[in-house]
Amino acid sequence: MVIVQLLLNGLIIGSIYSVVALGFSVVFQTVRFLNFAHAGYYTLAGYFTFLFLVQFKFHPAIAFSFVCVVVVLVGCMTEFFVYRPLRRRRASSQSLLLASLGLYLVLQNLVSLAWGDDTKTIRTAPIVEGHNFLGARITTVQIVIVVVNALLICTLAILMRTKVGKVFRAVANDNDLACCVGISTDHVIMGAFGIASFMASVAAILLGFEIDLTPTAGFKLLVMAMIAAIIGGIHSFTGAALGGIVLGLAQNVAIWQLPSKWQDCVAFALLIIFLLFRPLGIAGRRGSDNGVESQ
Amino acid sequence: MDYSLHILILVAIYAGSAISLDLIAGHTGLVSLCHAAFHGLGAYTTALLATRAGIPFPVSILAGVVIAVLLSFAISLPSFRLHGDYFTIATFGFQMILFGLFNNWIELTRGPLGVPGIPAPVIFGWHVDTNLEFLVLAASFCCFSGFVVYRITNSPFGRVLHAIREDEVFAQANGKNTLYYKVAAFAVSAALASSAGSISAHYVTFIDPTSFTVMESILVLSMVIIGGAGSPLGPMVGAMILVTLPEALRFMDLPTSVAANLRQMIYGSLLVVMMMFRPQGLVGRYRFGR
Repeated sequence: MVIVQLLLNGLIIGSIYSVVALGFSVVFQTVRFLNFAHAGYYTLAGYFTFLFLVQFKFHPAIAFSFVCVVVVLVGCMTEFFVYRPLRRRRASSQSLLLASLGLYLVLQNLVSLAWGDDTKTIRTAPIVEGHNFLGARITTVQIVIVVVNALLICTLAILMRTKVGKVFRAVANDNDLACCVGISTDHVIMGAFGIASFMASVAAILLGFEIDLTPTAGFKLLVMAMIAAIIGGIHSFTGAALGGIVLGLAQNVAIWQLPSKWQDCVAFALLIIFLLFRPLGIAGRRGSDNGVESQ
Repeated sequence: MDYSLHILILVAIYAGSAISLDLIAGHTGLVSLCHAAFHGLGAYTTALLATRAGIPFPVSILAGVVIAVLLSFAISLPSFRLHGDYFTIATFGFQMILFGLFNNWIELTRGPLGVPGIPAPVIFGWHVDTNLEFLVLAASFCCFSGFVVYRITNSPFGRVLHAIREDEVFAQANGKNTLYYKVAAFAVSAALASSAGSISAHYVTFIDPTSFTVMESILVLSMVIIGGAGSPLGPMVGAMILVTLPEALRFMDLPTSVAANLRQMIYGSLLVVMMMFRPQGLVGRYRFGR
């Protein structure tokens, strides 16, 4: 069953897109800028997994927690040393975007310098035949990927319904007003960067067991996550999660008809179509400004 | 001597291209990430016309310009309904699609193999085949680009572009059809970028898709920002610095892969430092994004 296999593959990569897109969207909603450095966190997480797991031979649980701690620290440091001073100077979102591009270049090339540009692998387990599912094959690793991602998305969804989530949404809705009612926006934004880099590291660890590491893979994944966030609706958390799955499915179903080399173009064509006809995204509601002029 | 000529030619081509990007990024305030895609359009058009059909250089460069302008409409007309960061994303998408075309449309572009053996350009009987002559060509292109952008930005048309940058709603309230101004500025910028691509393709005599990635777009954008956005000299200074500075790494006897990574790290850290401490760039006056 080709179509079942394609749908399964779409779901697996789509769940990764969702998690990266959610992290990206948490920062976008609170600070209102496109954080390209997100790809840097992802790349860093992949290579730190390689460092702790393969080079230092730590126990996986210890290695994974170290990776998350280090990457969250890096994420918070970029906020503390670069984005916060920039916001203090009333920099526009475009300046933040350019600074984040610069940060990404620095992070990615640090990784390249430290580990080299060649492919690294963290897959140590022997390759086994996958389980049979409606005539399609799915490996244990892939099941773990989907389950962990689903858990992560659910946790964030529940978190957003608590008081913490309310504070987040207040900052996302109106930064100044949130400040007026006594919310420390700086702390909330720091938390957003923490969540974002944590989700990037989980995605990197999971996908590391499926696809080998290269220093530039993070950028490509971030681009897909950005597209997912936009087609889902960048102003809602459900949108980012939904967009990831939709994008993953669309790309894989396209393989059915088109050669796989056009997969990226399918994603960008989808982006342009959404920007043209529904810039609010799938889950977006009218009234939430999504970069569309009112004319 | 030949080496310094080579550097000067690169500086001139990049400067001409950075000036054209400045028209849209610095003067109109729209960050575009698809400048390398327009380079690629120009480069592939002239390269294919010259190697397959033997079309003379002045005709093929014009063909490249026409294609770039038409495609710039395809991207600018719809995406100017969006503002700010969404325009950046749309240009980014355009950049990735065009890279995909260069890389995957193997029947036309030969894909990753690239197009080799691009002949030296002949402009109305003038054979541009030595490096010195190429420098003259590149420098005159750079001057032309600077002249066009300078004239545009110091005209009533340019004042509208500046008004759009500062406050688009205000410009509309004054009866300006801002869509028209933005589309026109983007088309001029695309046309100049395409010519820069054509000239560099004929200079290097070989093109492949890796010269037209989004990293190249970021490089040209960094030149604009680091030199000083929205100023006549800024992009030229930026091009000079970002082309020559990495060349200094060559003399430090580093392995090539390390040198390439260090170069990108320099671009990256310069971008961050500039945004934090000198948003007007090295020689500019307009404080970008404030």
